[in-house]
Amino acid sequence: MKKLLALVMALCMLCGAAMAEGTSAQEGVYTYNDYLTLSPSNWNELTYQDNNDTEIMSYIGSSFFTYDFKFDEYGEIIPGEFEIIYSAATALEDVTAKYAEAWNLPADGKGYAWKITLRDDLKWENGDPIKAEDFVYTMSEQLNPLFQNYRADSFYVGSTIIANAASYVKQGQSVVEDNSATGKYTVADLVKGEDGVYTQPDGGKISFALTTGLDWCGGKTVTQYSAYLDADAFAALQGLADENGLVAVTDDTIALVTKLIDTDNWGHEPPENVPYYMVYEFTYGAMDFSEVGIFVGDNEYELVVVLEKALDLLKEDGTLSYKAAYNFSSLPLVHKATYEACKIAPTEGVELWTSNYNSSKETTMSWGAYKLESFQSGTQFVLVKNENWYGYGLPENEGLYQTDRRVVNIVKDWNSAWLMFLAGEVDGIGIDVSVADDYKGSERAYFTPSDFVSSMQLQSNVTELKNRETEGINKSILGYADFRKALSLGINRADFTTQCTTSSKPGFGLFNSMHYYDVANGGVFRNTDEARQVLCNIYGVDATQYASLEDAVDAITGYNLDLARELVTKAYNEALAAGDIKETDIVKLTFGTGSITEAVTRQVNFIEDSWKKMLEGTPLEGRLEVEVLDFASAWANDFRAGKYDVCMGGWTGAAWDPGYFLLAYLDSGYMYSKAWDTANTMMTFTMKGVAEDGGDITETMGLLDWYACLNGTGKYDWSSNGLPQEKRLQLIAALEEQVLQVYYTVPLANSFSASMLSYKVDYITYEYNTFMGYGGFKYMTYNYDDAQWAAAVAEQNGELNYK
Amino acid sequence: MYMAKYIGKRVGLMIITFLIIFVTCFVLIKLLPFDDTAGFGQDTEKIRAQFRARGYYDPIPQQLVQYLRRIFKDGDFGIGFNIPEYRGRYVWDVFVEKLPPTILINVYSSLIAVPIGIALGILAALKKNKWQDHVISTGVMVVISVPSFVYGSLLLFLVCFKLDLLPLKMASFAEIIKAYPAENYVYTPGSANWPLFFNQKMFVSMLPAVFAMSFGSIAGYARFTRAELTEVLTSEFMLLARTKGLTKAQATTRHALRNAMVPIFPSIVGEFISVLSGSLVLEKIFSIPGVGGLYLSAINANDYDFFMMLSGFYLLVGLVASLVIDLSYGVIDPRIRMGAK
Repeated sequence: MKKLLALVMALCMLCGAAMAEGTSAQEGVYTYNDYLTLSPSNWNELTYQDNNDTEIMSYIGSSFFTYDFKFDEYGEIIPGEFEIIYSAATALEDVTAKYAEAWNLPADGKGYAWKITLRDDLKWENGDPIKAEDFVYTMSEQLNPLFQNYRADSFYVGSTIIANAASYVKQGQSVVEDNSATGKYTVADLVKGEDGVYTQPDGGKISFALTTGLDWCGGKTVTQYSAYLDADAFAALQGLADENGLVAVTDDTIALVTKLIDTDNWGHEPPENVPYYMVYEFTYGAMDFSEVGIFVGDNEYELVVVLEKALDLLKEDGTLSYKAAYNFSSLPLVHKATYEACKIAPTEGVELWTSNYNSSKETTMSWGAYKLESFQSGTQFVLVKNENWYGYGLPENEGLYQTDRRVVNIVKDWNSAWLMFLAGEVDGIGIDVSVADDYKGSERAYFTPSDFVSSMQLQSNVTELKNRETEGINKSILGYADFRKALSLGINRADFTTQCTTSSKPGFGLFNSMHYYDVANGGVFRNTDEARQVLCNIYGVDATQYASLEDAVDAITGYNLDLARELVTKAYNEALAAGDIKETDIVKLTFGTGSITEAVTRQVNFIEDSWKKMLEGTPLEGRLEVEVLDFASAWANDFRAGKYDVCMGGWTGAAWDPGYFLLAYLDSGYMYSKAWDTANTMMTFTMKGVAEDGGDITETMGLLDWYACLNGTGKYDWSSNGLPQEKRLQLIAALEEQVLQVYYTVPLANSFSASMLSYKVDYITYEYNTFMGYGGFKYMTYNYDDAQWAAAVAEQNGELNYK
Repeated sequence: MYMAKYIGKRVGLMIITFLIIFVTCFVLIKLLPFDDTAGFGQDTEKIRAQFRARGYYDPIPQQLVQYLRRIFKDGDFGIGFNIPEYRGRYVWDVFVEKLPPTILINVYSSLIAVPIGIALGILAALKKNKWQDHVISTGVMVVISVPSFVYGSLLLFLVCFKLDLLPLKMASFAEIIKAYPAENYVYTPGSANWPLFFNQKMFVSMLPAVFAMSFGSIAGYARFTRAELTEVLTSEFMLLARTKGLTKAQATTRHALRNAMVPIFPSIVGEFISVLSGSLVLEKIFSIPGVGGLYLSAINANDYDFFMMLSGFYLLVGLVASLVIDLSYGVIDPRIRMGAK
């Protein structure tokens, strides 16, 4: 017993000694203690995949141009406004005219070639100088075809397309091109071989495609539209197709395709359209990196970038436009010697080169405000000031960047992190719903809006709904739009956000207050009359009854049990008449998720209770069952494939380009409601005042065609380059309404995250600025240094009160 | 000689079993569809080119041959591809780096749990149906009924937060290096870094997890020991031992305990080996950078190289463990000899 006592005492002494060691906080040092649930793994700009990786990456890099707060004459931040400032660059010049001939740019074009003049004092953390050639080298590695780097497509997909970047990355690759998308060949262009099979002029294969998605068919395949086409011709072509659904082009098959598309249901397409059903093989040839549009300019600090799509990075007055910081804030940069040393050659059976650059302390090099002091995967990393960063010497940064160190612990359990926050060991944390009631009102709480609209997705694949029915179990009723609308109206969004989220607010549209249709002028889409009218139309609010559209929108709750019950009854009777439901059937809806967490369970329970209440007094009262299944990482693809009925999902990104963002709801490559045929869902729309004579243009087209117009690839160029934003938003609003009114996507909540900041630090503002957030480390100020903070926490007996 | 033959036969069977299960795992995981579709604003062709270059579209037998050749030729178990925390890292390096905290916490936990658990079990058996037995048995039932994450959370809240006796999270290597400058510790990513674990600060920071993990084991060993010893103590040979003139203590330690240990010892070995898989929940609560959850992440993320390396490792450990446990019976009890006449 004595020995045991001695052992316990020794253990306590050890603990005490260890604790004493841990309190060696320094005076005059300002440390921001943070936590993450997942450890970053790869903060290499060329290959990073997660936001988690930016937790290091964004601190060790710099920008040519960056956003900043706009201050008034008294030094106060002007809410919602911003300015763009030069940072690592000192000048930006449109040099399109100079390089137009050499790079085949439009002679009178603007915004295709840009010269960036770099500061001459840019350095790596080890003191190595940074010049334009470093950016050129990095881009050659970014686009290196041997690596197929994850971020390579950032420079040939989207808005920043460097000339010939795609061809360089894909050299040696054979791809199948859609002739209807490229418009490359007519039948006359093809060469007929001795065997009667047509080929491309260079001998490459060309075929009719039965099972390949074609641009001409709105991304869908000929087989998917076979019901509208000539049955005999389709059967004959199917008989000739190979395992990939490709049919050789011969005189016979040309005749068959001509017959195939010449039907009433297909609109009697003329024979000239036959090539639109062809695909051809294309192999990218070898090329030198010098043919890619990035090179050193007239001196070693001048970097020239040639683009395939023009960008207006400068305003008329020559100052930086918001796109300079949005599309062109920086280009990737790696430290050449370190990067070369980190290359990993392919091994047995693998052809891919990889790299472990920026994946540990030893392989990391910074040219940003902070550098990596230590990194231990799964445990902790520490960033400290990079004394070689050019920014610390700038007069405009005097008094800023007070943070000396950022210590980030990896804490997977929120409850553990919360205790660390209350013990003063973590300085910022998100508020979990379990403590929200106690801490939402804290003076240290703040709320950050997000562009994410949490939405309920309802299954669009009627065939799969039917296939998954069993005796007595019905799912087909979900195929009725009235039923889906009733499910939407049966949810009280205000209660949903209060009970199931920490701080989100009811959401009604695809877009929320974070989506800007006109960034330069601060134009928020949701605040326009067009967008407001959409919500009034969808939720049945008569705007004429209110003083303004804004008031009408404020009155929307999205909750109407009476109307929901009417709609359920109507849908049920129609389904009964059509034989889609029996009087004894139970409607069983399966919720799918990536992981059945407490939050998911809470949401599903709320929705189930809401729906059961909504069904009271209808023929489906007491006949609804809801189950939740875990589909792990395949949850989204499984939903798209029609394997279950309901999921919660939404999209984030492109918040400053809602016209592009609609892709998520209209393109089958992204849509949750994949079975909804947006190519053939027709919409008649009038764009006011855009005809050559100043009149309106009215036309009926498929939704995808309208989307193409909105993004400059359709019949009309109504992209931001071709039309003023005020006009474009008419079409954005019309398309939003089309998506909402089919009720496959039911918006429920506009996401807000609630967070707490410790007494140790303060942001410069607690009013969220879309462009600057709360100012970040640049503007963060400290109320205590490390030693003072340790003393303050000790004074509170190691337990801080934030209520 | 017979034992050597037996071991040889078991090892041979073990290798065959290992190969069959390993190949089956490889084929099954490769049969699962993988997601090669592009995200928002990405180039599907580039993603497919990457998969193609990794050989993911090759026939499965071809992939298996290449995989095995990589392992045997270069000792290369592959590079993490899909688990966000370990993308681009050698899977073996990740495993080796994460194994020590898991092993140490479980070793420390076993060092506490085995003697205390067995001691309590012996006490309860010797004092059967007396108040000591009732107290221990009740305590054991309570502890066994409560899941370990409950002790974990309680320990964290009471001992680490409220009483501030122990740290809220395990120390990082950077903290250890800073705390002991004289030791000249060096952290090497991708290796076990054993020296960094053997110091006071690291040991103390592991204690909350060690205590949380040991509670359940103490109760388990106590219950098992009590049950076994109680049975042995009532055996006729114990009566014989006493009638031979041995004291109760002598009879208990020389005969009863040794007999009771026959099933207890293999359970200790078994539990010790199973700890290599780590505790998902406790490692999460106490921020232990161990291997708990790694296997699950590999399956969820469809990360072939992680899955195969971990499958192979745990399979091997399981097979070796069963052999060791079988052989240990003979070591503890000389009467048990496989096939001996």
